[in-house]
Amino acid sequence: MNPIGQNSIAGASGTGDFEDTLRLIARLSAPEGLEERVKASLLSAPVSSKARILAWPTALRPSAAWMRSAAAAAIVAVVIGGSWGVYSRVQPNQPARTTTTQPRISAQGGFSSAGAMRTPQTLNGPVVEHPAVARPAVAAPLLVSPAAKPVARSKQAPPLPGKTKAASKVIQPAALPKD
Amino acid sequence: MSAAQAVFSGWMEITDNTVDGRARQLEEEAAIAGLVSQYAGTLYRVAYSVMRNAADAEDAVQEAFLRVLRHRDTLHEVRDQRVWLIRIVWNVVLDRKRRAKTRPETDDVAELARVLPAEGLSAEDRAAAAQHHAHVLSCVEQLPVKERQVLMLSAFEELTSVEIASVLGITESSVRSRLFRARNLMAGLLDHKRSLL
Repeated sequence: MNPIGQNSIAGASGTGDFEDTLRLIARLSAPEGLEERVKASLLSAPVSSKARILAWPTALRPSAAWMRSAAAAAIVAVVIGGSWGVYSRVQPNQPARTTTTQPRISAQGGFSSAGAMRTPQTLNGPVVEHPAVARPAVAAPLLVSPAAKPVARSKQAPPLPGKTKAASKVIQPAALPKD
Repeated sequence: MSAAQAVFSGWMEITDNTVDGRARQLEEEAAIAGLVSQYAGTLYRVAYSVMRNAADAEDAVQEAFLRVLRHRDTLHEVRDQRVWLIRIVWNVVLDRKRRAKTRPETDDVAELARVLPAEGLSAEDRAAAAQHHAHVLSCVEQLPVKERQVLMLSAFEELTSVEIASVLGITESSVRSRLFRARNLMAGLLDHKRSLL
C-alpha cells in the first residue's frame, strides 16, 4: 500500500515511539454502524435540487409541451413589444454640433513653432505714441537759490537743444519756494 | 424537419429529459452510497487523528459526505476519489478544530484509554499506555502547523507521499522536507520532556 515506504521512520533516530502512537490511532477501526448512520444522515439531509432561475409553481407546473411553447412565445412577444415601445418613444439624439478648426500651419512652412504661443489680434485700441521726451515745466525757469536743495535732474531729460544746461533744469514743484 | 421544428424539439423531449435526470440522480446516489461503504472507515480514522474524539470524528465524516452530496454533479470528474474524500474530510476537521476550544490533556488520556486496543494489558498498563500516547500527542500539538499536518497524515500507511501532497495541496518534496523537520522536532520535544521528568 505504501510502495516507497516514506511513512516509515527514515530520518531521525529514536523517534519510533511517537510514530507508533500515530500509527496506532491511524489504524483504529471505525465504530460499528458508522456507514448506516452516514447513509441515514445523507437520506435525511435536505439537499436542494439543481438551482433553477425560474421555477414553475407547483399548481402551474406544465405537464404538456405546448404549454411550455406557449409560455416561451409569450415571453418573447412581451420582450419584443416592450423593446419596440421603448424604441418608438425615444427620440434619437440630435447630432452634436461640432466646429472643426483647421490646423494651424505656419506661414514659413511645416516647421514647428518651438512652443511659441500665438496671441490673437485684438481690436485696435488707443495708440500709444512713443514715449515722449520729457519736457520742461511750462512755467518760466526760475532761478534756483543756492540755499535750496539741488533738485535731482531727470536722467531721461536730455538738455534741450539751443539752451544752456542751467536753463534746461526742471524744477520740481516740491522745490518751489512758498509764498 | 424544419428549423422551427428542430428548435422546438428540445422542449418536446421534456419527458425524456426528466426520466434521464431521475435515472442520473439514482445513479449518483448509488455512487455516493458506494463511496460511503468503501471509505467511511478511512475518513473516520483521518478525522479521529485530528479530533481525537469519536463523536466529533463521526460528525466530521457525515459532514464530508454531505459536501460530497452537494457536489455530486462533479463526482464523475474526480480522478482519485479516495484522495479527494480524504482532502474533504481533512478540511472539515481542520475547520472544526479551529473553531473548537482546545480540550485539556486529561480528556485525551481518557479517550485514548477507551479506544486504543489493549489486549493482554492490565488496567495499570492500559492507563500507562494511554498516558504515554497522550503525552506524545501533546508534543505533536506543539509542532508547527505544516509539520504537524504532514506528520499526522504520514501515519496513514495507505497514503503515499504523493497522495499526502495532493491532500495538502503541496509538492511531494515539500512533504518530505516537512516530514524530516517534524521528526527532528518531535525527537527534540520528547527528549526535552524526558529530561524534565
